Amino acid sequence: MPNIADFKQVSDVVWEIPTSYKSGMLVPARIYATKKLLEGMDAGVFEQVTNLACLPGIVRSAYAMADAHWGYGFPIGGVAAFDTETGVISPGGVGFDINCGMRLIRTNLHYSEVKSRVKELVDLMFRLVPAGVGVKGTLRISEAQFEDVMRYGVKWCAENGLAWEDDPSHVEEGGFIKGADPSKVSRQARNRGIEQLGTLGSGNHYLEIQVVDPSRFFDPDLAKHFGIVEEDQVVVMVHCGSRGFGHQVGSDYLRVFDGAMKRYGISVRDRELACAPFSSKEGKDYYGAMVCAANMAFTNRQVIVQRVRDAFSQVFHKDAEALDMHLIYDVCHNVAKVERHTYDGVSAEVLVHRKGATRSFGPGHHDIPAPYRPVGQPVIIGGSMETGSYLLVGTSKAMEDTFGSTAHGSGRTMSRTAAKRQVRGAELQRKMLERGIYVKSATMDGLAEEAGMAYKDISEVVETMDVAGISKKVVALRPIGNIKG
Amino acid sequence: MPFRYLPDIALADVAFEAESDSVNGLFESSALALSDVMVDPATLGTGTTRMLRISSDDLDTLLYDFLTEVIVVKDVDSLLFRGFEVEVAADYKSLEATMKGEAINRERHILRNDVKAVTMHLFGVGHEGGRWRATVVLDI
Repeated sequence: MPNIADFKQVSDVVWEIPTSYKSGMLVPARIYATKKLLEGMDAGVFEQVTNLACLPGIVRSAYAMADAHWGYGFPIGGVAAFDTETGVISPGGVGFDINCGMRLIRTNLHYSEVKSRVKELVDLMFRLVPAGVGVKGTLRISEAQFEDVMRYGVKWCAENGLAWEDDPSHVEEGGFIKGADPSKVSRQARNRGIEQLGTLGSGNHYLEIQVVDPSRFFDPDLAKHFGIVEEDQVVVMVHCGSRGFGHQVGSDYLRVFDGAMKRYGISVRDRELACAPFSSKEGKDYYGAMVCAANMAFTNRQVIVQRVRDAFSQVFHKDAEALDMHLIYDVCHNVAKVERHTYDGVSAEVLVHRKGATRSFGPGHHDIPAPYRPVGQPVIIGGSMETGSYLLVGTSKAMEDTFGSTAHGSGRTMSRTAAKRQVRGAELQRKMLERGIYVKSATMDGLAEEAGMAYKDISEVVETMDVAGISKKVVALRPIGNIKG
Repeated sequence: MPFRYLPDIALADVAFEAESDSVNGLFESSALALSDVMVDPATLGTGTTRMLRISSDDLDTLLYDFLTEVIVVKDVDSLLFRGFEVEVAADYKSLEATMKGEAINRERHILRNDVKAVTMHLFGVGHEGGRWRATVVLDI
C-alpha cells in the first residue's frame, strides 16, 4: 500500500510518484487530484500508473487524471505516450470499448419549449436507438460497406446520406482515423459489429437530453463559439463506443499479445498490460484493427445522432436543420493515436494512449475545426445520469503538460452489486422524475447500477482539471431526459 | 448455486467464481454464471439448441474461448442460454458443448447486463482438494 505522504506535491492538484517508488520505472508518474480526491483513490490506481511507467519506450511521465480508478492493465483515466520506434502499444491502454466517446449536439430550443415534451422525446428515441442486451441496429449494410465504415467512419456516413455536411469536421480526427486495416479484424469481430451500428449498448452508456445550467454558465462568451448562446438551451449528449466489435478486437489481440511478449522479451506486471513494440508485426496489426474499431465507433455515434435528429424533428414538426441540431463535437476517450507533441524540448511523433481520458488540444492547433481554432477544442465530460455533465475547452497548458489530455468523466466509487443493494431501479426512476429527469432504461437492474451515488463527484473532477489548467470550464449541463442501455 | 459473484473485484464490471467437482461441470457452471449476468434464467426457455466445438492451447484459454463464444452468439444470433452440457477432451485442449436457450425476447425476458468481453484480469482455472474453480471478470 503506497503512502501518499511520500508523493512529491508539484502543485495544489498535481502529485508525482518518483521512479524510485518501484523497480523498473522508466519515468515518474503524475496524478492530477485534489488532496481529497487523491486520498479517495483506490490503491490500484497508484500501482497501475506506476506499472505504466515501466513499459518500454514510455516518454516523460505516466499520468492518472482526477477521475482515475482501477482498470484492466491501465487505470481508467490513464494517459501514456510512447516513442513510435522504441515504444509499445497495449490493448489494455486503449480499453475493450475502443473509441468509447462522447458526442454533443446543440438545438435552438429552450427548456420551456421542451419541458412538456421530454417524455415523448425520450420514448421515441428509446424506440429509434436500440439499447440493452444483444440488440441490433436498424441500419442494414453489406460486408463491403462495413469495410468502408472501418476505413472511413463518418466520412462514409457523409457520402451515404447519414451525416450533415459539417458533421465530419466536428468529430475528432475529422471523423476517421487514418491507418485502418480491415484485413487484421477477425471474422468474429465483423459478425458482432455489422448489425450494431446505431445501437447504444448497456453498462454506463447513455443518450441524454440536457439543458445549459444557468447557475454554472462559466464562460458564456467562449460558449458562443460552440453554438451555446443562452441559459436553459437544450442540447443532447451521446455516450457509447464500438459495441461488441471493439470488444472482440480487444479480446482477439489481448490473446495475440499475451503470446507475443515472450518473443520480444517483454515482461509486464499484469497480464492485462500485455503489449508489443508498436513497430512489430503484432503492434501494427493491432493498430490497424483498433483504428477499424475506432472508426466504427465514430459511425455508431453518427447513426445515433441521425436518429436523435429524426426524433426531435418528428416531435417538434420541424426539420432538424431548422432546430439547428448541429454537432458541437465528438471526442474519443478510449484510443491510441499517433500525434505530434513537444516534450523535453523536442517535437516528435508519439503514440498517445488515452484510456478514460480525453484529448484537450488548445487554441491554434491545426487538428481543431477552423471555427474553434481561436479558442481550443471542445472537451465533453460525462457525469452520472443524476448529476449532469460538462462542456470544457482544451488548453495550451494541456499541450505542454499532459500530451494534450484531460479527464473523461466522474469514475465509479461503488460496485454494481453494492449499488443494486442500496437502491431499486424503479425507486430511482421515480425519484429522478420528481427531480425533473425522465429516465427510460432497457433494464431496471442496469438503472440501479448507474445511480449517481455510485460515482465520484464530477464537479470536483472538473474543478481539479480547471485549476491544473489542462481544460477550462465552459458550462455545466443538467439532465432532463435520459435513456440508459 | 454453482457460482458466486465477487462484488469487490471490479467496480465497473462483474466478477464471479464458479466451481464444480468436474472440469465439465466447471465449464457448465461458468457459462451459467455468464448467462445469469445477462438475463434472469427463470424467464428464459430452452427451445433452441446450439452446438459448439472449440479448440485452444490449454485449459485456461479453452474456458476463455468458450465463454467468449457464448458472448459472440448473443451478439450475432441474439441467443441466450440457460442449459449447458460440456464435454472437455482428456487433453484439456478442446470441447464440445450443447447449449439450450432461446432468442432474446424483450417482452418476456428480464434482461440484465450486456456482457461484452471476458477479461484476463485474475482469470484462471484451478484444481485443489478435488474441486475445480475458475475466477472470471466480465467487461460490461
